[in-house]
Amino acid sequence: MFKNYFLVAYRNLVRHKGFSFLNIAGLALGLTACLLIGLFVYDELQFDKFLPAGERVYRIYTEQTSKETPETYSPVSPMYATTLKQEFPEVEQTARILMNPTTNLLVVGDKKIYVKDGLLVDSTFFGVFPLAFKYGSAAGALDAPTSIVLTEDVATSFFGPENPVGKEVKIDTTGFVVKGVLRNDLSKFHLKVNYLVPLAAAQLPAARMKRWGWHQFFTYARLRPGADAAQTQAKLQRYIVEQVKPTMKDEEMNDKPFLQPLRDIHLYSATFKYDLTVKGNITYVKALSFIAAFILLIAVFNFVNLATAKSMQRAKEVGIRKTIGASRQQLMLQFLSETVLLTLVSVLLATLLTALLLPALNAFTGKTMTFDLLRNPALLGILVVLTVVVGLLAGFYPALVLSSFQPVKVLKSAVVTDGIFGRVQWLRHGLIVVQFALSVFLIICAIVVFRQVSYLHNKDLGFNREQIMFFPMRGDNMSRHYETFKNELRQVPGVVSASIGYGFPGDQVAGDGIIVPTNGEQKNYGVTQLMVDYDYLNTLGLQLVAGRDFSPDLKTDKDQAFIINETAVKELGFGTPEQALGRIMKWQVWSDQNPDSLKVGKVIGVVKDFHYKSLYDKLEPAVLQIFPPAYWKVAVKLKGDNVGSSVEGVKQVWGRFNPESPIEYRFLDDNFDEMYKAEDKLKTLLWTFTGIAIFVGCLGLFGLATYAAERRKKEIGIRKVLGASVPTIVALLSKEFLLLVLVAAVIAFPAAWLAMSRWLQDFAYRIDMPLWAFGAAGLLAAVVAFLTVGYQAVRAATANPVTNLRAE
Amino acid sequence: MIKIENLEKIYRTDEVQTKALNNVSLEVAEGEFVAIMGPSGCGKSTLLNILGLLDEPDGGSFTFAGTEVAHAPERRRAALRKQHIGFVFQSFNLIDELTVAENVELPLIYLGVGAAERQAKVTRVLEKMQVMHRRNHFPQQLSGGQQQRVAVARAVVNSPRLILADEPTGNLDSSNGNEVMELLTELNEAGTTVIMVTHSEHDARYAHRVIRLLDGQVVLEHARA
Repeated sequence: MFKNYFLVAYRNLVRHKGFSFLNIAGLALGLTACLLIGLFVYDELQFDKFLPAGERVYRIYTEQTSKETPETYSPVSPMYATTLKQEFPEVEQTARILMNPTTNLLVVGDKKIYVKDGLLVDSTFFGVFPLAFKYGSAAGALDAPTSIVLTEDVATSFFGPENPVGKEVKIDTTGFVVKGVLRNDLSKFHLKVNYLVPLAAAQLPAARMKRWGWHQFFTYARLRPGADAAQTQAKLQRYIVEQVKPTMKDEEMNDKPFLQPLRDIHLYSATFKYDLTVKGNITYVKALSFIAAFILLIAVFNFVNLATAKSMQRAKEVGIRKTIGASRQQLMLQFLSETVLLTLVSVLLATLLTALLLPALNAFTGKTMTFDLLRNPALLGILVVLTVVVGLLAGFYPALVLSSFQPVKVLKSAVVTDGIFGRVQWLRHGLIVVQFALSVFLIICAIVVFRQVSYLHNKDLGFNREQIMFFPMRGDNMSRHYETFKNELRQVPGVVSASIGYGFPGDQVAGDGIIVPTNGEQKNYGVTQLMVDYDYLNTLGLQLVAGRDFSPDLKTDKDQAFIINETAVKELGFGTPEQALGRIMKWQVWSDQNPDSLKVGKVIGVVKDFHYKSLYDKLEPAVLQIFPPAYWKVAVKLKGDNVGSSVEGVKQVWGRFNPESPIEYRFLDDNFDEMYKAEDKLKTLLWTFTGIAIFVGCLGLFGLATYAAERRKKEIGIRKVLGASVPTIVALLSKEFLLLVLVAAVIAFPAAWLAMSRWLQDFAYRIDMPLWAFGAAGLLAAVVAFLTVGYQAVRAATANPVTNLRAE
Repeated sequence: MIKIENLEKIYRTDEVQTKALNNVSLEVAEGEFVAIMGPSGCGKSTLLNILGLLDEPDGGSFTFAGTEVAHAPERRRAALRKQHIGFVFQSFNLIDELTVAENVELPLIYLGVGAAERQAKVTRVLEKMQVMHRRNHFPQQLSGGQQQRVAVARAVVNSPRLILADEPTGNLDSSNGNEVMELLTELNEAGTTVIMVTHSEHDARYAHRVIRLLDGQVVLEHARA
């Protein structure tokens, strides 16, 4: 029986090649998109799942309640770990990582390599994160202050394949002993890590480690089995309010701590400040999942649509089979097995396409996803389930319609009339509307995302970010003689100016308090501190709106002057920029020797607001001051032409000050572009998959238009005999479909508006919703629909009417 | 074998009611060859569809082999169809995607006959109908006469007690038409009951008895001259 079904199915496939192609291609494409997105989403959901007992591990983060809209911070005070370990019996173990995003020069013998992502961690680190070791073991690996644990990649690049345990690695000039090598399977670990060194190596002052106001540690706690995280969190929040706050004298304490499950960190930390983890974004994962479902839905709808349209041709067969004695169940089974067969072919094709396209997706996302059916039986299972489910979903309705035909009616006339199909017409139209609504929705989203991403890249940030070479100083010689270093940089042909400081746009900036005496009261404001030199403003091209720049000729500018931005004028309550000039501000100097010394100075200038952080963040009040002890980074403004030789010149100057370490530079605008990587990728993915969705939808529409033209052959023939022109007939055939597109647009517009408004809200700086995008999306859908349908319409309209009438 | 009494069939559209069959009563005995004649629209095909259990009457009774089937459920009617009735149509109604042998095999598949037995039966009937050499061809590759012979082969492959033929020669030239009529006669002589709808006086002469319909009523019933 099944042999007969498949035989008929196979011969139908071969006989109606065009139809089969539309069906299979559409479904295969849809399935490919689904599989690729599915792999990506699955991969994103796997983060930190490889860690044993990971479900008991939580990260402590805080909300700063002092701000208008509470902000979430990843790094917290070192005291959280201390307190949890000592006062909370339900906590089994804690581990801290110092926020220290620097690149260090690692040296082994003659080999010197800059290595990013070295973590300074508590020696308990491997107690919380039981990572697998290739050489050595976790026990005691971080106990001595001179211990270092490397990842396999780093170990290999220094030592080759041999076991390096016991060998020495220098970080800059300090020696460490390799205690272990981690296995290379950290791609699903939320922390970026290349090597680990115990916190003890940093020799942090013990007094600082007791400060609740020093938010510098990523802190993790593993609870005992059976402990309740919600209760622990509530208890911790109470502890802060009842035990910690009353002990705070000078510092404000606005922390509200939370426990974040380890396995949520990767996807649910998109808005966390100062986070250094491998970031995913649950919004994008969800959006892509929706798109995958959309595309599959569109493909399945195509299938249903084409199959019911084609049922006219199968009506006779149904009549004959019923006459001979086939039951309705047998017929349904037949049509369902046909669809499952078609789906199977599509799935096989999709599997092939997925395997071919996965390397490209891997390159694009920087992932190492695999699609190995033999090694992953679960994947095979999913494909089988997909085949059956999609096959049944797509086949059920057509099978129901086909098997309901009355043999008396379908066998009587050579051509089955519209009457029988009238009732499936609404369904076909409904499905087209849904398909086009989804397409219009995706087109709008794609346009809005594209506009916002261009805005992020091109918005005037209030400073000049072009041709600025940017690098950290290295070595004592350079830091001690930074002024000479800067002067020599300025001598390089092609260098316009150079600035040394801490707090450049797109780089790390420090937040700290500033005290403003107002009406006899000392008010403390949280601001961004930019430690600058005399060339900062002109190197970055910042504009003064009041007052003057720092001047090396005025001795007092170093110790008694501040420049603030426009936002600071507002938030510190200074009125206008002019009124701000001359106002007194006090700053608690960064000094371990003299923690209580105050720098007191006047506001000498106000700069126009400039975006030193990503456009996700609202501009904050910023205070600029001369403070050489914090100087660390160098920005060199180059002329537009001959950049290559200018860079060479800068390198030579560097070599004179530090021949030991090679220079490691980038350009400032790259820093900014990097911030929007996720959005750039979203943009590309959205455009790609929107394209696929539209294409798949068009395949279906094309098929339907073919059948509509077929169905109305006689009508077209009669109209032509009566004198209708080709354009009128094309209009007649296209009108119906264009109307459907219109309805689709009406449905899609509000949905897209809502979705995109919500997405844009994540950005502190964003475009206005581009209304034209809605018109454009509707128009695009209409044009695509018209072209698809029009081809068939023109063919039908230009056919010889006599042939069509005779066929009746 | 067949007994219908006061059979009625009414077609309704929104505004018009058409009585396709009006109080038709007739009996057909086992082994008879009956021709039903009448002008277009007189209700011949409607009657044949009801006799073939493809359509339901709106009134009257219909006894098939001793059981009342006028309003039997579709499942039972499908079962009766596949066991006892073979159909031959004017337009042959072969399935284009199946070969000659596969078309003929189809009723046996629905009856649940085993593969070996199916092959044997199909071969036998194809030889009898003289289309064995065409067994692997598709319907479009055959002449009209050959297609109708295949259709007859399919109708008789499971040895039905009744063959219903709807204008079996309507699409054929006279020599092919005669061949088909000879075939039906042979089958009838071997014991199969045949009921045939036709326009052709020539074909009607093969029947034992002719029933003439007009406007849904039996107007004349006469034995073959």
